[in-house]
Amino acid sequence: MIEFINVTKTYDKNNVDALNDINLFIDKGEFVFLVGRSGAGKSTFIKLLQRELSPTKGTVKIRNHDISQLSKKEIPYLRRKIGVVFQDFRLLENKNVFENVAYAMEIIGRPESKIRKKVPLALEMVGLADKADRYPNELSGGEQQRVAIARAIINNPSILICDEPTGNLDPETSREIMELLEEINRHGTTVVVVTHDATMVNRLQKRLVVLDGGRLVSDSMKGTYDNVLS
Amino acid sequence: MNKKKEHRFFTMLRSASRDTIKSIERNNLMSFASVASIVAALLILGIFIIITINVNNVTSSVKNSLELKVFMKSSYTQEDLDAVQTALTNEEYVTGITYESSDEALAKYSASLGQYSGLLSGFTSSNNPLNASFIVQVDDPSHLEQVKSEAEKLTNIGVDYVKYGEQYVDALVSFSNFMNWVCVIILVILSIISVIIIYNTIKLTCYSRRKEIGIMKFIGATDWYIRLPFFFEGSMLGIIGAVFATLILRTAYYYLLGMTSNATYLPMQSQLIAPASVMGPVLIFCLVYGILMGVCGSLFSIRKFLDR
Repeated sequence: MIEFINVTKTYDKNNVDALNDINLFIDKGEFVFLVGRSGAGKSTFIKLLQRELSPTKGTVKIRNHDISQLSKKEIPYLRRKIGVVFQDFRLLENKNVFENVAYAMEIIGRPESKIRKKVPLALEMVGLADKADRYPNELSGGEQQRVAIARAIINNPSILICDEPTGNLDPETSREIMELLEEINRHGTTVVVVTHDATMVNRLQKRLVVLDGGRLVSDSMKGTYDNVLS
Repeated sequence: MNKKKEHRFFTMLRSASRDTIKSIERNNLMSFASVASIVAALLILGIFIIITINVNNVTSSVKNSLELKVFMKSSYTQEDLDAVQTALTNEEYVTGITYESSDEALAKYSASLGQYSGLLSGFTSSNNPLNASFIVQVDDPSHLEQVKSEAEKLTNIGVDYVKYGEQYVDALVSFSNFMNWVCVIILVILSIISVIIIYNTIKLTCYSRRKEIGIMKFIGATDWYIRLPFFFEGSMLGIIGAVFATLILRTAYYYLLGMTSNATYLPMQSQLIAPASVMGPVLIFCLVYGILMGVCGSLFSIRKFLDR
């Protein structure tokens, strides 16, 4: 599903490798935690997947396609297959919950009848069926993140990337969000969660990939955060 | 599949036009400045078109009635006359030739004076001051000069001089060329100003929507989808400008028409062309040019935000 082959990314400015010779294979339907200190290369990792950046060396493959070969025109179509959830939710403040989710379908030109059918289903899945006409500023952080998740999965992406999805949330809400992500994963979506949250990583016991200083230092099937840092 | 595509297009179109109206309202001051600058540029474009159409009308009517007049010397023989007639008839480009004797010229002149024809009563065929002439028609105005110089070579067989309305037409054409250049230069300057103002107007919209643009990009919107509303906004400003400019030009043209309807100084009894046949092209050109300026401005400004 996701494959990094000898990937190195060097930013022109400081000549430091943000990622250094990364080799990683993530299979279809996996649930993977990606952890590391700030500056370890996590953001670069996501940007490479989104094709916001291209690797300096090596190949990034998604569904067996080398995405660095994509032309500028093809990039949007790649992104439609990858749902992304951010720490700061990134919702449109002037649209209500329904519109925010519908928006992701609108921009890829889905017909209105489909939108009206599918958005309530997605909202139900994230537990916000009764808040469709609320605006983001009327919602709690956890609820906003649920909207963002609904938006990320509305077009049935095969991959869901979450960049610190619980970074702004209290532990209880975080737990709920993680349960939601697991639920999505059970439906067959490959989920990659970038996080700092040790408790969560330890509790869920999923595959754990650790980056440090741009290098992949550990990749364990049932990793816990503690042995990583030691 | 086709119907599906069509449907997608309309979904996109609707959300784009909804956003357009919102943002024109939000940036009303800059939108006003954009429209005003477009109107200014289009007024010049319109004046340019109106002048061109009218001048072309006058010159073509002048050109169509153009003919050479080959005047004979006062002392010519019948052989001279025949020789000149033969020479002119054989001349390339000549389509018709009419002889006008000095008596006929006198009669014509006398008739043209109407009630004052008495002024010429002292002249008879014996003391007629007018010369006999050939009126020569040419197939195309561009050949006038050539036929003229050929005719002037016939001085040895009785030709005195050759005349046509060249000075008159040349002056008109050079005046219109000059005006056209002036218009083009002003138009270019105003267009650049307009595009810059539109660029800044749309940039405001882009800036206020940069978060949205970012979100659109990571959800997988194509660049054209993202551009569409800005594109619309630019075109809308252009269309509004074009409509205003055309209305102003129309009013001004009617006013001008009223002023000149009784004027006798216009050449060859030519009138300004009827507004109906002028305002059509003016509206079309203004719309096309206005939309073009709007679209250019908006494409320039969104480029920055898309490439981030």
